[in-house]
Amino acid sequence: MRAANRGDAAAYRNVLTAITPVLRKVVRARGAALGPEGCEDVLQDVLLAIHSKRHTWAEDAPLRPWLYAIARHKVVDAFRARGRRVELSIDDFTEGLAAGAGPDPTEGRDMEKVLNQLEPRAAEIVRAFGLHGETTAETAARLDMTEGAVRVALHRALKSIARLRERMIE
Amino acid sequence: MRTDDLIAALAADTKPQAPVLRQMALPLSGAVGLSIASFALFWGPRPDIWAALGSPAVLKTLIPLVLVSLAAALALTLAHPGRAAKGRVTALGAVIIPAALVFMAAIVGEGLAGLVSALSTPQLLTCLLSVPLLAAPLLGVALWGLSSGASLRPWLTGAMAGLATGGLAAAIYSVYCDKDMVLFVLPAYGMAIASVTLAGALIGARVLKW
Repeated sequence: MRAANRGDAAAYRNVLTAITPVLRKVVRARGAALGPEGCEDVLQDVLLAIHSKRHTWAEDAPLRPWLYAIARHKVVDAFRARGRRVELSIDDFTEGLAAGAGPDPTEGRDMEKVLNQLEPRAAEIVRAFGLHGETTAETAARLDMTEGAVRVALHRALKSIARLRERMIE
Repeated sequence: MRTDDLIAALAADTKPQAPVLRQMALPLSGAVGLSIASFALFWGPRPDIWAALGSPAVLKTLIPLVLVSLAAALALTLAHPGRAAKGRVTALGAVIIPAALVFMAAIVGEGLAGLVSALSTPQLLTCLLSVPLLAAPLLGVALWGLSSGASLRPWLTGAMAGLATGGLAAAIYSVYCDKDMVLFVLPAYGMAIASVTLAGALIGARVLKW
Protein backbone atom coordinates (compact mmCIF):
# COMPACT_ATOMS: atom_id res chain seq x y z
CA MET A 1 0.00 0.00 0.00
CA ARG A 2 2.90 2.29 0.76
CA ALA A 3 4.29 1.77 -2.72
CA ALA A 4 0.75 2.07 -4.08
CA ASN A 5 0.24 5.48 -2.52
CA ARG A 6 3.45 6.64 -4.16
CA GLY A 7 2.10 5.75 -7.56
CA ASP A 8 3.13 2.12 -8.07
CA ALA A 9 0.18 0.81 -10.07
CA ALA A 10 1.22 -2.86 -9.96
CA ALA A 11 1.64 -2.82 -6.18
CA TYR A 12 -1.69 -1.08 -5.82
CA ARG A 13 -3.40 -3.62 -8.00
CA ASN A 14 -1.93 -6.39 -5.86
CA VAL A 15 -3.28 -4.79 -2.70
CA LEU A 16 -6.77 -4.38 -4.14
CA THR A 17 -6.78 -7.89 -5.58
CA ALA A 18 -5.61 -9.34 -2.27
CA ILE A 19 -8.25 -7.64 -0.14
CA THR A 20 -11.17 -8.16 -2.52
CA PRO A 21 -11.94 -11.83 -1.65
CA VAL A 22 -11.91 -10.96 2.07
CA LEU A 23 -14.24 -8.03 1.50
CA ARG A 24 -16.51 -10.07 -0.76
CA LYS A 25 -16.90 -12.68 1.97
CA VAL A 26 -17.82 -10.01 4.53
CA VAL A 27 -20.33 -8.37 2.20
CA ARG A 28 -21.95 -11.65 1.16
CA ALA A 29 -22.20 -12.84 4.75
CA ARG A 30 -24.12 -9.72 5.67
CA GLY A 31 -26.10 -9.13 2.54
CA ALA A 32 -27.48 -12.43 1.35
CA ALA A 33 -30.83 -10.69 0.76
CA LEU A 34 -29.30 -8.43 -1.86
CA GLY A 35 -28.36 -11.27 -4.14
CA PRO A 36 -24.90 -11.79 -5.63
CA GLU A 37 -25.21 -8.81 -7.96
CA GLY A 38 -26.27 -6.46 -5.18
CA CYS A 39 -23.40 -7.71 -3.03
CA GLU A 40 -20.98 -7.10 -5.84
CA ASP A 41 -22.29 -3.53 -6.14
CA VAL A 42 -21.65 -2.98 -2.44
CA LEU A 43 -18.17 -4.48 -2.80
CA GLN A 44 -17.44 -2.13 -5.69
CA ASP A 45 -18.63 0.78 -3.53
CA VAL A 46 -16.16 -0.28 -0.84
CA LEU A 47 -13.31 -0.50 -3.35
CA LEU A 48 -14.16 2.95 -4.71
CA ALA A 49 -14.19 4.33 -1.17
CA ILE A 50 -10.81 2.80 -0.40
CA HIS A 51 -9.50 4.37 -3.58
CA SER A 52 -10.92 7.84 -3.04
CA LYS A 53 -9.93 7.97 0.66
CA ARG A 54 -6.48 6.38 0.32
CA HIS A 55 -4.74 9.58 1.41
CA THR A 56 -6.34 9.35 4.86
CA TRP A 57 -4.11 6.39 5.65
CA ALA A 58 -0.80 7.54 7.14
CA GLU A 59 2.20 5.53 6.02
CA ASP A 60 3.38 4.92 9.56
CA ALA A 61 -0.02 3.66 10.73
CA PRO A 62 -1.07 0.01 10.56
CA LEU A 63 -3.05 -0.66 7.38
CA ARG A 64 -5.56 -3.18 8.67
CA PRO A 65 -7.52 -0.99 11.15
CA TRP A 66 -7.78 1.73 8.54
CA LEU A 67 -8.95 -0.66 5.86
CA TYR A 68 -11.54 -2.29 8.12
CA ALA A 69 -12.83 1.07 9.32
CA ILE A 70 -13.39 2.23 5.74
CA ALA A 71 -14.94 -1.08 4.70
CA ARG A 72 -17.24 -1.33 7.71
CA HIS A 73 -18.46 2.23 7.27
CA LYS A 74 -19.15 1.74 3.58
CA VAL A 75 -20.81 -1.65 3.99
CA VAL A 76 -23.14 -0.39 6.73
CA ASP A 77 -23.88 2.70 4.66
CA ALA A 78 -24.61 0.73 1.52
CA PHE A 79 -26.89 -1.76 3.22
CA ARG A 80 -28.79 0.98 4.99
CA ALA A 81 -29.32 2.81 1.74
CA ARG A 82 -30.22 -0.27 -0.28
CA GLY A 83 -32.42 -1.65 2.45
CA ARG A 84 -34.89 1.13 1.83
CA ARG A 85 -35.00 0.41 -1.88
CA VAL A 86 -37.36 -2.43 -2.60
CA GLU A 87 -35.42 -5.21 -4.24
CA LEU A 88 -37.90 -6.80 -6.59
CA SER A 89 -36.49 -8.28 -9.70
CA ILE A 90 -38.25 -10.05 -12.50
CA ASP A 91 -36.78 -13.31 -11.16
CA ASP A 92 -39.14 -13.14 -8.22
CA PHE A 93 -42.05 -13.61 -10.59
CA THR A 94 -40.57 -16.07 -13.00
CA GLU A 95 -39.15 -18.37 -10.39
CA GLY A 96 -38.00 -21.58 -11.88
CA LEU A 97 -38.02 -20.18 -15.37
CA ALA A 98 -34.60 -18.63 -15.11
CA ALA A 99 -32.26 -20.87 -16.99
CA GLY A 100 -29.01 -20.55 -18.85
CA ALA A 101 -25.52 -19.98 -17.63
CA GLY A 102 -26.49 -17.13 -15.29
CA PRO A 103 -24.62 -13.91 -14.95
CA ASP A 104 -21.02 -13.64 -13.88
CA PRO A 105 -21.14 -13.46 -10.08
CA THR A 106 -18.51 -10.73 -10.00
CA GLU A 107 -20.49 -8.52 -12.33
CA GLY A 108 -22.05 -5.46 -10.69
CA ARG A 109 -25.12 -3.67 -12.04
CA ASP A 110 -24.68 -0.14 -10.70
CA MET A 111 -21.40 0.50 -12.48
CA GLU A 112 -22.88 0.37 -15.98
CA LYS A 113 -25.62 2.83 -15.00
CA VAL A 114 -23.04 5.21 -13.60
CA LEU A 115 -20.72 4.87 -16.58
CA ASN A 116 -23.61 5.75 -18.87
CA GLN A 117 -24.14 8.97 -16.95
CA LEU A 118 -20.52 10.02 -17.41
CA GLU A 119 -19.24 12.06 -20.26
CA PRO A 120 -18.65 9.54 -23.11
CA ARG A 121 -14.91 10.10 -23.26
CA ALA A 122 -14.51 9.70 -19.48
CA ALA A 123 -16.51 6.47 -19.54
CA GLU A 124 -14.44 5.30 -22.51
CA ILE A 125 -11.22 5.82 -20.54
CA VAL A 126 -12.51 3.94 -17.50
CA ARG A 127 -13.62 1.08 -19.73
CA ALA A 128 -10.30 1.11 -21.55
CA PHE A 129 -8.40 0.43 -18.35
CA GLY A 130 -10.98 -1.83 -16.81
CA LEU A 131 -12.51 -3.99 -19.50
CA HIS A 132 -9.79 -3.86 -22.12
CA GLY A 133 -6.80 -3.71 -19.76
CA GLU A 134 -5.10 -1.04 -21.84
CA THR A 135 -2.04 0.81 -20.63
CA THR A 136 -1.91 4.56 -20.35
CA ALA A 137 0.20 4.76 -23.51
CA GLU A 138 -2.25 2.65 -25.55
CA THR A 139 -5.27 4.65 -24.44
CA ALA A 140 -3.44 7.87 -25.11
CA ALA A 141 -2.53 6.80 -28.61
CA ARG A 142 -6.01 5.52 -29.44
CA LEU A 143 -7.83 8.61 -28.15
CA ASP A 144 -5.18 10.99 -29.46
CA MET A 145 -4.44 12.43 -26.02
CA THR A 146 -1.22 12.86 -24.09
CA GLU A 147 -0.49 10.31 -21.37
CA GLY A 148 -0.74 13.01 -18.74
CA ALA A 149 -4.19 14.01 -19.99
CA VAL A 150 -5.34 10.38 -19.88
CA ARG A 151 -4.14 10.11 -16.28
CA VAL A 152 -5.94 13.28 -15.26
CA ALA A 153 -9.10 12.23 -17.11
CA LEU A 154 -9.10 8.82 -15.42
CA HIS A 155 -8.56 10.42 -12.04
CA ARG A 156 -11.48 12.81 -12.58
CA ALA A 157 -13.71 10.10 -14.00
CA LEU A 158 -13.19 7.88 -10.94
CA LYS A 159 -13.97 10.83 -8.70
CA SER A 160 -17.24 11.48 -10.54
CA ILE A 161 -18.09 7.79 -10.41
CA ALA A 162 -17.67 7.78 -6.64
CA ARG A 163 -19.85 10.88 -6.40
CA LEU A 164 -22.56 9.55 -8.71
CA ARG A 165 -22.78 6.25 -6.90
CA GLU A 166 -23.07 8.13 -3.65
CA ARG A 167 -26.06 10.02 -5.03
CA MET A 168 -27.53 6.85 -6.45
CA ILE A 169 -27.83 5.07 -3.12
CA GLU A 170 -29.15 8.05 -1.26
CA MET B 1 -18.63 -3.95 -14.94
CA ARG B 2 -16.78 -6.80 -13.26
CA THR B 3 -14.97 -6.16 -10.03
CA ASP B 4 -11.61 -7.16 -11.50
CA ASP B 5 -12.12 -4.57 -14.24
CA LEU B 6 -12.90 -1.94 -11.65
CA ILE B 7 -9.69 -2.87 -9.82
CA ALA B 8 -7.73 -2.48 -13.03
CA ALA B 9 -9.23 0.98 -13.58
CA LEU B 10 -8.55 2.01 -9.98
CA ALA B 11 -4.97 0.76 -10.11
CA ALA B 12 -4.34 2.77 -13.26
CA ASP B 13 -5.26 5.97 -11.41
CA THR B 14 -1.90 6.60 -9.78
CA LYS B 15 -2.23 10.33 -9.29
CA PRO B 16 -1.29 10.82 -5.63
CA GLN B 17 -3.74 12.64 -3.39
CA ALA B 18 -2.47 15.24 -0.92
CA PRO B 19 -3.11 14.60 2.78
CA VAL B 20 -6.15 16.38 4.23
CA LEU B 21 -4.13 18.89 6.22
CA ARG B 22 -1.98 19.87 3.25
CA GLN B 23 -5.06 20.31 1.05
CA MET B 24 -6.68 22.70 3.48
CA ALA B 25 -3.65 24.56 4.84
CA LEU B 26 -3.59 27.32 2.26
CA PRO B 27 -7.35 28.00 1.97
CA LEU B 28 -7.62 27.91 5.75
CA SER B 29 -4.88 30.48 6.28
CA GLY B 30 -6.68 32.59 3.69
CA ALA B 31 -9.89 32.36 5.71
CA VAL B 32 -8.04 33.26 8.93
CA GLY B 33 -6.59 36.26 7.12
CA LEU B 34 -10.07 37.26 5.95
CA SER B 35 -11.50 37.03 9.47
CA ILE B 36 -8.65 39.04 10.97
CA ALA B 37 -8.85 41.65 8.21
CA SER B 38 -12.60 42.11 8.61
CA PHE B 39 -12.11 42.29 12.36
CA ALA B 40 -9.54 45.05 11.91
CA LEU B 41 -11.91 46.87 9.53
CA PHE B 42 -15.23 46.59 11.36
CA TRP B 43 -14.39 45.92 15.01
CA GLY B 44 -10.85 47.02 15.89
CA PRO B 45 -9.04 46.42 19.19
CA ARG B 46 -10.31 47.91 22.46
CA PRO B 47 -8.48 51.14 23.44
CA ASP B 48 -6.70 49.62 26.43
CA ILE B 49 -5.67 46.46 24.61
CA TRP B 50 -2.07 46.45 25.83
CA ALA B 51 -3.09 46.86 29.45
CA ALA B 52 -5.70 44.12 29.03
CA LEU B 53 -3.17 41.72 27.53
CA GLY B 54 -0.99 42.23 30.60
CA SER B 55 -3.88 41.47 32.99
CA PRO B 56 -5.82 38.26 33.71
CA ALA B 57 -8.18 39.37 30.91
CA VAL B 58 -5.65 37.83 28.52
CA LEU B 59 -7.21 34.48 29.46
CA LYS B 60 -10.22 35.51 27.33
CA THR B 61 -7.91 35.15 24.35
CA LEU B 62 -5.65 32.34 25.53
CA ILE B 63 -8.26 29.82 26.67
CA PRO B 64 -10.17 29.90 23.36
CA LEU B 65 -6.83 29.45 21.57
CA VAL B 66 -6.09 26.34 23.63
CA LEU B 67 -9.57 25.12 22.74
CA VAL B 68 -8.82 25.76 19.07
CA SER B 69 -5.69 23.64 19.02
CA LEU B 70 -7.32 20.74 20.86
CA ALA B 71 -10.56 20.75 18.85
CA ALA B 72 -8.72 21.13 15.55
CA ALA B 73 -6.46 18.18 16.37
CA LEU B 74 -9.50 16.11 17.32
CA ALA B 75 -11.38 17.03 14.15
CA LEU B 76 -8.38 15.95 12.05
CA THR B 77 -8.06 12.71 13.98
CA LEU B 78 -11.74 11.98 13.42
CA ALA B 79 -11.31 12.49 9.69
CA HIS B 80 -8.71 9.71 9.59
CA PRO B 81 -10.14 6.26 10.29
CA GLY B 82 -8.06 4.03 12.53
CA ARG B 83 -6.45 6.85 14.49
CA ALA B 84 -7.00 6.88 18.24
CA ALA B 85 -9.04 9.87 19.37
CA LYS B 86 -9.37 9.05 23.06
CA GLY B 87 -6.41 11.05 24.37
CA ARG B 88 -7.56 14.10 22.45
CA VAL B 89 -11.09 13.85 23.81
CA THR B 90 -9.66 13.71 27.34
CA ALA B 91 -7.51 16.77 26.69
CA LEU B 92 -10.53 18.69 25.43
CA GLY B 93 -12.55 17.71 28.48
CA ALA B 94 -9.66 18.88 30.67
CA VAL B 95 -10.22 22.41 29.31
CA ILE B 96 -14.03 22.52 29.11
CA ILE B 97 -14.85 20.97 32.49
CA PRO B 98 -12.71 23.37 34.59
CA ALA B 99 -14.24 26.29 32.66
CA ALA B 100 -17.72 25.02 33.53
CA LEU B 101 -16.68 24.58 37.18
CA VAL B 102 -15.33 28.14 37.37
CA PHE B 103 -18.64 29.34 35.94
CA MET B 104 -20.61 27.40 38.57
CA ALA B 105 -18.39 28.76 41.32
CA ALA B 106 -18.93 32.30 40.06
CA ILE B 107 -22.71 31.82 40.05
CA VAL B 108 -22.62 30.39 43.56
CA GLY B 109 -20.48 33.33 44.65
CA GLU B 110 -22.57 36.13 43.18
CA GLY B 111 -25.95 34.52 42.78
CA LEU B 112 -28.20 34.34 39.74
CA ALA B 113 -28.97 38.04 40.08
CA GLY B 114 -25.27 38.70 39.51
CA LEU B 115 -25.39 36.63 36.33
CA VAL B 116 -28.45 38.47 35.04
CA SER B 117 -26.95 41.87 35.71
CA ALA B 118 -23.64 40.84 34.13
CA LEU B 119 -25.41 39.72 30.99
CA SER B 120 -27.78 42.69 30.80
CA THR B 121 -25.64 44.64 28.42
CA PRO B 122 -25.81 45.27 24.68
CA GLN B 123 -22.36 43.69 24.57
CA LEU B 124 -24.01 40.29 24.91
CA LEU B 125 -25.79 40.61 21.58
CA THR B 126 -22.63 41.99 19.96
CA CYS B 127 -20.69 38.99 21.20
CA LEU B 128 -23.33 36.46 20.13
CA LEU B 129 -23.45 37.94 16.63
CA SER B 130 -19.80 38.80 16.10
CA VAL B 131 -18.30 35.43 16.96
CA PRO B 132 -20.42 33.40 14.48
CA LEU B 133 -19.87 36.09 11.86
CA LEU B 134 -16.09 35.94 12.25
CA ALA B 135 -16.25 32.14 12.38
CA ALA B 136 -18.36 31.65 9.23
CA PRO B 137 -15.55 31.75 6.62
CA LEU B 138 -13.33 29.64 8.88
CA LEU B 139 -16.00 27.01 9.39
CA GLY B 140 -16.83 26.88 5.71
CA VAL B 141 -13.23 26.25 4.69
CA ALA B 142 -12.62 23.81 7.55
CA LEU B 143 -15.64 21.68 6.60
CA TRP B 144 -14.70 21.78 2.94
CA GLY B 145 -11.18 20.62 3.83
CA LEU B 146 -12.38 17.89 6.17
CA SER B 147 -14.74 16.55 3.52
CA SER B 148 -11.72 15.14 1.69
CA GLY B 149 -11.07 13.08 4.80
CA ALA B 150 -13.05 10.03 5.82
CA SER B 151 -15.08 10.86 8.87
CA LEU B 152 -16.87 7.91 10.45
CA ARG B 153 -18.99 10.27 12.58
CA PRO B 154 -19.67 13.30 10.38
CA TRP B 155 -21.70 15.27 12.93
CA LEU B 156 -19.02 14.90 15.59
CA THR B 157 -16.22 15.88 13.24
CA GLY B 158 -18.34 18.85 12.12
CA ALA B 159 -18.96 19.83 15.75
CA MET B 160 -15.21 19.78 16.46
CA ALA B 161 -14.59 21.89 13.38
CA GLY B 162 -17.22 24.30 14.74
CA LEU B 163 -15.63 24.30 18.18
CA ALA B 164 -12.20 25.03 16.72
CA THR B 165 -13.36 27.79 14.37
CA GLY B 166 -15.77 29.24 16.96
CA GLY B 167 -12.92 29.31 19.46
CA LEU B 168 -10.64 31.06 17.00
CA ALA B 169 -13.35 33.62 16.22
CA ALA B 170 -13.87 34.18 19.97
CA ALA B 171 -10.13 34.69 20.46
CA ILE B 172 -10.14 37.31 17.69
CA TYR B 173 -13.27 38.96 19.06
CA SER B 174 -11.81 39.09 22.59
CA VAL B 175 -9.36 41.73 21.37
CA TYR B 176 -12.36 44.04 20.84
CA CYS B 177 -14.54 43.04 23.79
CA ASP B 178 -13.91 45.10 26.95
CA LYS B 179 -16.08 43.08 29.35
CA ASP B 180 -13.77 41.09 31.55
CA MET B 181 -16.00 39.72 34.33
CA VAL B 182 -16.11 35.94 34.57
CA LEU B 183 -19.92 36.04 34.77
CA PHE B 184 -20.08 37.74 31.39
CA VAL B 185 -17.18 36.14 29.54
CA LEU B 186 -17.87 32.49 30.31
CA PRO B 187 -21.59 32.39 29.43
CA ALA B 188 -21.41 34.83 26.51
CA TYR B 189 -18.33 33.30 24.88
CA GLY B 190 -19.57 29.85 25.78
CA MET B 191 -22.90 30.42 24.05
CA ALA B 192 -21.27 32.03 21.03
CA ILE B 193 -18.80 29.18 20.58
CA ALA B 194 -21.53 26.63 21.25
CA SER B 195 -23.68 28.10 18.48
CA VAL B 196 -20.82 27.71 15.98
CA THR B 197 -20.25 24.17 17.27
CA LEU B 198 -23.92 23.38 16.70
CA ALA B 199 -23.78 24.84 13.21
CA GLY B 200 -20.68 22.74 12.51
CA ALA B 201 -22.45 19.58 13.72
CA LEU B 202 -25.55 20.24 11.61
CA ILE B 203 -23.68 21.15 8.44
CA GLY B 204 -21.02 18.52 9.05
CA ALA B 205 -23.64 15.77 9.27
CA ARG B 206 -24.50 16.59 5.65
CA VAL B 207 -21.25 17.62 3.99
CA LEU B 208 -18.88 15.18 5.69
CA LYS B 209 -20.83 12.12 4.57
CA TRP B 210 -19.09 9.89 2.06
